[in-house]
Formats: sequence, structure tokens, C-alpha cells
Amino acid sequence: MKCIKDKEERIDVYGERGRLQLKANPKDVRTGVFYIDGDVAAAEGALAAGCKFLGGYPITPSTEAAEAFAKRAPQVGAIFIQMEDELGSISSVMGASLSGRKAMTITSGPGFSLMMETIGLGAMLELPFVIINIQRGGPSTGVPTSTGQADMMQARWGSQGDYEVITLSPDSPQESFDFTVKAFNLAEKYRCPVMLMSDECVGHMTEKVIIPEASEIPIEPRRWFKGKKSDYAPYKPDKDLVPPMVKAGDGYKLYISALEHNEKGYPVSIKDLIEGKHKSSAKRLVDKIRVNADKIIELKEEGLDDAEVVVISYGITSRVAIRAIELARKAGIKVGNLRLVTVWPFPDKRIVELSKKVKGFVVPEINYGQIVFEVERCTHGNSNVILVPHGGGSVHSPDDILAAIKQVAKEKKRYNGVFEFATVLERQIFGSGAK
Amino acid sequence: MKKYPILEALNDALKKSNINMDKVCLVSDVFYTPEAIKPLEVDFINTHRGRSVAFGTGLKLGNPDLQVISLVGDLATLGGNHLVHAGRRNMNLIAICINNFVYPTKSGEQSPAYMFSTYSNFERPFNIPHIAKSCGAVFVARWTALHTKQLTDSLLKAMTKEGLSVIEVIAPGGHYFAGVDALENESELINFCYKNSEVKNGEDTQNLEIKTGKKIIVGEFIERKRLTFLDSYNARLSEVMGNKFVPYGGKIDRD
Repeated sequence: MKCIKDKEERIDVYGERGRLQLKANPKDVRTGVFYIDGDVAAAEGALAAGCKFLGGYPITPSTEAAEAFAKRAPQVGAIFIQMEDELGSISSVMGASLSGRKAMTITSGPGFSLMMETIGLGAMLELPFVIINIQRGGPSTGVPTSTGQADMMQARWGSQGDYEVITLSPDSPQESFDFTVKAFNLAEKYRCPVMLMSDECVGHMTEKVIIPEASEIPIEPRRWFKGKKSDYAPYKPDKDLVPPMVKAGDGYKLYISALEHNEKGYPVSIKDLIEGKHKSSAKRLVDKIRVNADKIIELKEEGLDDAEVVVISYGITSRVAIRAIELARKAGIKVGNLRLVTVWPFPDKRIVELSKKVKGFVVPEINYGQIVFEVERCTHGNSNVILVPHGGGSVHSPDDILAAIKQVAKEKKRYNGVFEFATVLERQIFGSGAK
Repeated sequence: MKKYPILEALNDALKKSNINMDKVCLVSDVFYTPEAIKPLEVDFINTHRGRSVAFGTGLKLGNPDLQVISLVGDLATLGGNHLVHAGRRNMNLIAICINNFVYPTKSGEQSPAYMFSTYSNFERPFNIPHIAKSCGAVFVARWTALHTKQLTDSLLKAMTKEGLSVIEVIAPGGHYFAGVDALENESELINFCYKNSEVKNGEDTQNLEIKTGKKIIVGEFIERKRLTFLDSYNARLSEVMGNKFVPYGGKIDRD
């Protein structure tokens, strides 16, 4: 688990050092040392970031987060509204965001699925908002009270059409707090859907959480439009491809449409699209994240310099991986640890670079293969990739990850595609020839 | 016949009222051409089908100073649950349901509020004013697209109401599916509704079902007072929390 040593390092956690001048409002921040779970920490993080609106619908295992927010909201002038369903929740979040408030919703798998249509609306209208997804085992109702990491691809591709998202995966209650603040900062900066992809284990894990002074929490302000009223075009981007914003009710006479639109927000004709007079909005929606990807991507690396095997993990799985890596090192294997803090946008460059010098990658995740295929895509066939799958409901056994590390270390041949590792439990049930 | 009778009635109502036009937000669930929206000089947001009441709920709660008007085509279908709960909470907004009985930009599939079809509709159509009343709306009216003066008056009234106002406007449209003589057919349809409608202000909403062979009853049906969502929220929490309660609202993000 990551320990934050001093103030300086902490400021780096929330945003770019030195750039963000605005600090959190002391009234919103519950400074102190607490023994709370990841859900509650995420709610505190949202309030610290200045979130004033939560539209939600209860769903296990995210309910504690909404409860914590609902309890604290009336003390700081924020509001929690329990909407009629997840479609209503996310729609109300869009409205609140356009009215100028920082807004979010909290949900889990089935609710996340219901929200998909409107997440696309948010991406198209470029409204800043945060979704906290406390993942559980799936598919469908699945394992409501237990963990899962199987919403990762849905988070990226769930709504129709082209758009990009940013996701953050915490592995502890402390990070649930830190990353929620960061999620709001990223949402305001890039005006895109930002998701905190936590999971039941992190959500229900109770640990020490340090909530710092407000002056130590930098806040990204909304990109308010500063020019003349008559010059305003809702979708005219700045240099970094993100347009500045105004709020509804400020007299700008906005026309904002979820249809393919031009810089002024007006829908464009198909003729203009075909004749090339209008460049698709989707192009900028993906480019604004791709161009800025290096600034957004955050990785935690350890022991990669001389590594033969690299374990790539995210969220709760990265904590299990640490134990497996320890054991492997004791056995004399050179193992590196690469933890994806931001799974999306995906760190293509770094993995391509690593694939040229390591024997292989071990990718444990609590699903039957999602991010592992992204890893495989980036290796360009330079190295082996082993998936250590795990069904929803519990976390990996470090022994499984260790066995996969050993297999990669001694492997002579090159696999054709991703090798799916049979867990120790599976081998006990089905015999050694299970896979 | 006016080209955009409902929007023009809304425009008249807005201009006649003392409302600050900067604070008016029109949230629609389906597409409206900018040409029709521009004369209104308000903020306009085109969201997803059926979601404009939920979007409006967030917009109004985000900034309670706004006058939110939701234009909904899918109020009885996709937007059904949002309407019911906006009524229950008494969200302070106006929902204008434009009931054209069909999905005109598709190929004319019938909606749950439909009354005519090739073999006559065998499904029971929704009685929208009755639903609105049952779930707690404070102002409920129904007009056709040709009752523009009455519609303007109702809109003016709705703007003064604290809570959810639901106005159903019967406007059978057929721009796309009615074929070559679209406009002619459309005006015929509306004229048909106009001729077959009967003004009965204060009529019991139970009797407002639209049926073939029966007159469409129009008018203003419900006017009452209820605490709005935010009023109840502030009242209840200050009662429970006392001095610790910070009423919701205040400045937006330090601007």
C-alpha cells in the first residue's frame, strides 16, 4: 500500500504541482485521521473536491458511499437526491453539472449498465461529471455483496459511438479519498466522463484514512469562459482541444444538442459531413484525451529496471500482487510491479517499451480477461502474456499469481496470444490438465 | 396555421410574463430546429428521449433560480417514471407533453397515448392529466395545438406555480409519415382534434381519457398548493438538524 510521506508528495496526488492555485474550501473538508471504509472515504473525497450534488439510486456495494454523502451534505450546503432509477440519477447529474455545480453519481454494475446511454450524452455535451462505480461480481445481478473487476471494458466502451473516458482504480480507502478528488479535477480539466472504478473489497475495507487540511488539496476550477458574451461558442476548443464553459442561466442563450453539432452547438447537416465542411465532433472527443494522454496517465512502477517478468495489475488486485511479487523475489525471480492507476487512457507507450526487454507479463484481474488483451495488443508479440483470471466473489490467492510468474520466468516458447492460467483451485478440481 | 404553434405560445407566455429571460432553460428530449428555438431567446438543451424531466430536475436543483421548462415527447413512455417521481417530489418545473400520438420521425409507430390507427388502437391509451394529478402535480392542463391563446394563458399560470406543472398539448404531427401532402394532412389532423375537442375547465381527470368516437376534453383541470422538493427538504432538515443545517443553494463554485 502506498504511504504518503509528506505534504509535497500529497499535492502531487491530486493534480499537477504548482499549476493549481485554487484550494479546497475548508468548510467542505473533514480534516483528520479516520478509520473509515473506502465507500465513506470516496464520499468525503467528493465533498472535499467541492461536489455539491449527488443524484443516486441505492445499490450494493456502493450504498455506504451515498449514505455517507447524504449524511454530510446538509452540513456543507450540498444535496443528495435519491432519484427514481439510475437513468434518472445520471440525467440529473448532467443537469446539475450544466447548472454550474460539481456533480456525481455513485453506483455498481447493474446501475452502471443502466447509465450507459446518458454517459454518452455527457461525453457528447462535454459536461464534467464523476461516476463512482463500486464494482461487484457479474454478469447481471451476479454477486452483489462481493468483489469484481469486470466493468473495465464497459467503462471504456459502454455507450454507443466514439468517445474517451478517464478511469482511476484505487486500492485502499486512502486512495478512494485521494482519487475521488483527482477524478473531479480531471473531469473539470478535460470535460469528459471520469470514473472511479473501485470495487467491493476497497469499498468495504476499513483502514486508516488521512484527510488533509483544505489548503493541501488543490482544486481544478471549472474552465469558465472569460471572453465577450457575443464571442462565445459552446464547443469552440482551447489549444488543448477542451472548450471553455458557461453555465445555464447566464444569458448566453445556449443551444446545446446531443446531435452531431458545430462549434456553436447547432446540429449540422449530413450534407456538410459528407462534403467535409464539418469535421465530426467525435474526432475531438477522442483526441482531447489521446493528445493529453501522457499528462493524464498515472502508473506506479517498482523494480522494473532489471525485471524479467512484470506483473500488471490495478485496484484491489495490485495489493494481492505485491505479496506474490515478494514471494517470487525470495525464489530468485526478477519481477517488476506495474500498477495502473489510470486504466483508461491505456498506457500503450510504456507497455510497448517494456515488452521489448522483458520475458513476459502476468496480468491478474478479477474477471476472465479484459485489460489483459490491451496488454497483449501493446506487446506486439515481443513477449508472453499470461492472464490470471478470477471469477467475481473474492480476490486472487497470491499463490496463483506466483505460479504464473514462475511459469513466465521459465517459459522457453512464445505463446500464440494470451495464455490463460489455470488457478490452483481449478487444478485441484479438474486435475493438472485443466487448461 | 402557425408553423410552431406550441413554441410560439410559449414565446408569447414568456414575453408576457415578468420572468428574467436569462434564467429560462428549455430542456427538450427530442430535436427542435434552431430556427424554431432562436426566437425564444432562452437556453436550450437537447438531451435524450424521455430524460428531459430528470435532466431538468438536476438543472433546477443545481441552480434553483432557473425557470426550467421541459418539452417532452416521450412523457408517457421513456419519461413515464421521471414524470411520476417529479410529481411525487413536486419538483419546481414545467413539463409540456407534446402528444402527437405517434413517433413521427420514425415511420409513424403508435405511442401509448395513441387513439387512431389502421385497425383502431386496441391498447388503452394513457390519460396523461390523470397520471399527473395522481402523482401530485400542482397544475394540470390540456389543450390542442390550435388553442394557442388558452395555452399561452395556461403557461403563464404554470410559471407562477410552485411545483410541477404538466401541460399536455394535443398536436398530431405527420411531417414524415403522412407523405407528400404532409402539411395539409397535419393541419387536417389538428383541425380534426380542434373540432372534436370540448373545453371543460375543472373536469374530473378520470373523465379525460382519449377515445375514438369521444370528444377530447381540454381545459385546466388541477390547481392546488403543495410544498416543493426544496421547501420540504429545507423545512425537514432544519427541524431535525437545527443550527447544524446549511440550507442548500448558495453561490455556484465560487464564481
